[in-house]
Amino acid sequence: MIQIEDLSFRYPGAVRDAIQELSLQVHRGSLFGLLGPNGSGKTTLISILTGLLSPARGAIRIDGLNLTAQARKIQAFSALVPQEYAFYPRLSVQDNLQFFGAALTVPAAELRGRLDEAITTTGLEAFRKIRAEHLSGGLKRRLNLAIGLLNRPRLLFLDEPTVGIDPQSRHFILESIRRINAAGTTVVYTTHYMEEVESLCDEIGILDDGHLLARGTLSQLLNDAGSQALTINLTTSPTAAQQAALQAIAGLQIDVSTLHVKRCDAAQVRTLLDVLAGQELAVGRLQYGYGNLEELFLHLTGRQLRD
Amino acid sequence: MRLIALIVKEWKLLLRDWHALLLLFAMPAAFILVMSLAMQNDFAEHASVSVHYYLVDQDSSAVSKALLQQLAAIPHFKRVPSKASLAQLKERVKRSRAQFVVIVPKDFGKAMLGKNPEPVQMLAGPDVEPAVYQLFAAALRGALGHTYLQHLLAPLQTQLEISGSGGLDLDAAGKLLKDRSLYEVNGQNRRPTSVQQSVPAWLLFAMFFIALPLSTTWVQERQQGTYARLRSMGLGAGVLLIGKLLSYIIINLLQVVLMLAVGVFVVPWFGGDSLTLGHAPLALSLMALAVSFASVAYALLIANLVSTSEQATMLTGVTNLLMAAIGGIMVPGFLMPPVMQALSHYSPMAWGLQGFLDIFLRRGGLSMVLSQAGLLSGFGVGCLLLSGWLLNKRQRK
Repeated sequence: MIQIEDLSFRYPGAVRDAIQELSLQVHRGSLFGLLGPNGSGKTTLISILTGLLSPARGAIRIDGLNLTAQARKIQAFSALVPQEYAFYPRLSVQDNLQFFGAALTVPAAELRGRLDEAITTTGLEAFRKIRAEHLSGGLKRRLNLAIGLLNRPRLLFLDEPTVGIDPQSRHFILESIRRINAAGTTVVYTTHYMEEVESLCDEIGILDDGHLLARGTLSQLLNDAGSQALTINLTTSPTAAQQAALQAIAGLQIDVSTLHVKRCDAAQVRTLLDVLAGQELAVGRLQYGYGNLEELFLHLTGRQLRD
Repeated sequence: MRLIALIVKEWKLLLRDWHALLLLFAMPAAFILVMSLAMQNDFAEHASVSVHYYLVDQDSSAVSKALLQQLAAIPHFKRVPSKASLAQLKERVKRSRAQFVVIVPKDFGKAMLGKNPEPVQMLAGPDVEPAVYQLFAAALRGALGHTYLQHLLAPLQTQLEISGSGGLDLDAAGKLLKDRSLYEVNGQNRRPTSVQQSVPAWLLFAMFFIALPLSTTWVQERQQGTYARLRSMGLGAGVLLIGKLLSYIIINLLQVVLMLAVGVFVVPWFGGDSLTLGHAPLALSLMALAVSFASVAYALLIANLVSTSEQATMLTGVTNLLMAAIGGIMVPGFLMPPVMQALSHYSPMAWGLQGFLDIFLRRGGLSMVLSQAGLLSGFGVGCLLLSGWLLNKRQRK
């Protein structure tokens, strides 16, 4: 559905690229999670993919169309749900949907049907006549999503659609997104909530400082050879002689009483444990591989996702 | 269809915002009403408006009494009777209880025709405008001249009366001037009221304040992400600009109708002069449209220049005041020094003012206002092009 090759983008006056030589593929019908901390380039990438920003270098094809030359055609079958409440607070739910429907040039005969459909999908039936400014945070997020459904998009970009809402509303929105995706819409979903990506997305891209650090399914990312890291906490710090013996293990790093090996297969784990036993060093805690995205992200970037 | 949707949206938003409605309609109406009533200090026509003065007659002679009579005969200069001391009167004038103190010194009458006359003193309050100062001084000089002549020619008057050849007519000088204004109503010469002269200026000033609600709404749309959403839906910068432009031109024209209606119908209810609209509805419509286009396009330029609502408010206020000051809204152009007069040719408010004055005062028609309407339209097109460029530039940020 989306093919990005060597994409770079720099804001005017900035000293470095916000997106750096990024290549990525998003398959048709997938629910693709773009994970990264604030400022990692997620919104910039979404803005480029929705035609709001023009990239300096690289090529983007969406559904076989060249984004630079055929942006209008792509915009006709795609939709953006921005991070902000991008509607008019003083207009009612219905008036907002009517206006954006007309702005999308949905034919008048079809507009009512589309409106009902978007309202039903997002559970806003009881709030049609309510002014948007009087809705709760969760309902505002739903309205934001409903506007994005008016052109029945084949490709939907959701930029942090669950920021700042209660768990119940979040659950409703995530379920809605799941249903929209199940109905055939390709969804690109940006967030910095890892648990959402883990539970929702079938493919994940990890973005940091404009670089795509990793891409794949959740199990691929967690089981990747790159994530076969070993961390051992010893009960005592090794002596100089013991440290010399441990250096026989390739890639081993010693940090006081903690041992790290970035890449380590099962045979190497066994060898290391044998060496430790031979040196009479007791193991307090041992971790092999990553249990979740948080640890993977920490490993890839050296910092927490919410930094 | 998109344009209609944008205009309908703007109107729905406006109808649900009482603050904006007040700012857009009630404020300009109140503004015109207040300015019309405040500016009608027309000395020639309104007996109710006057300059107040204290008079201290230390001479109490026949001559000083004659001077007092002369002064009392001048309309709109009202003597405030008081038995307070001179020091107290000076203090009152300083505090604007009256505008002037006139002191007729002792021996004024006796020394008038001598080599060392005792001059009358005129003391003005600190807030007296230069024009009022000059006016009062001229009136006082006139009264003194009349009194002086009367005193000088008194022996001759007696002589002529005795010889039976009739008396001297000391008021004859007043008959040597016949004044009239070239302003005409229904083919007759009339003096234009200050309402007629000032309303066009304040109307124009109020019209340019459309930049306030427009720019703040635009900034909010950008900040809320609705602008980005609309762009992602394929709406170009041009459609968005034109949508805003048309919506606010309609609002601006309604403001004009309202303000003119206030000038014509409401101001007279409060005792003011009614505004006369002239005989060229087409010319008036063209000028209103041209000023609306220029002011809304200028508002769009401000909206695209600034990043926050605070900046929009600040920039609108300061630039409107500057354009008004340069454009002759606050001080008539002919009273300005030559450099400022030359500068005023570059203020869109000056073009608008000339156009409106052509219609309201000079009774001009369509051909008379074409050049001003052209200049305003050119200014509007320039602002729009610049707005489009800024909008595209901002989009790349």
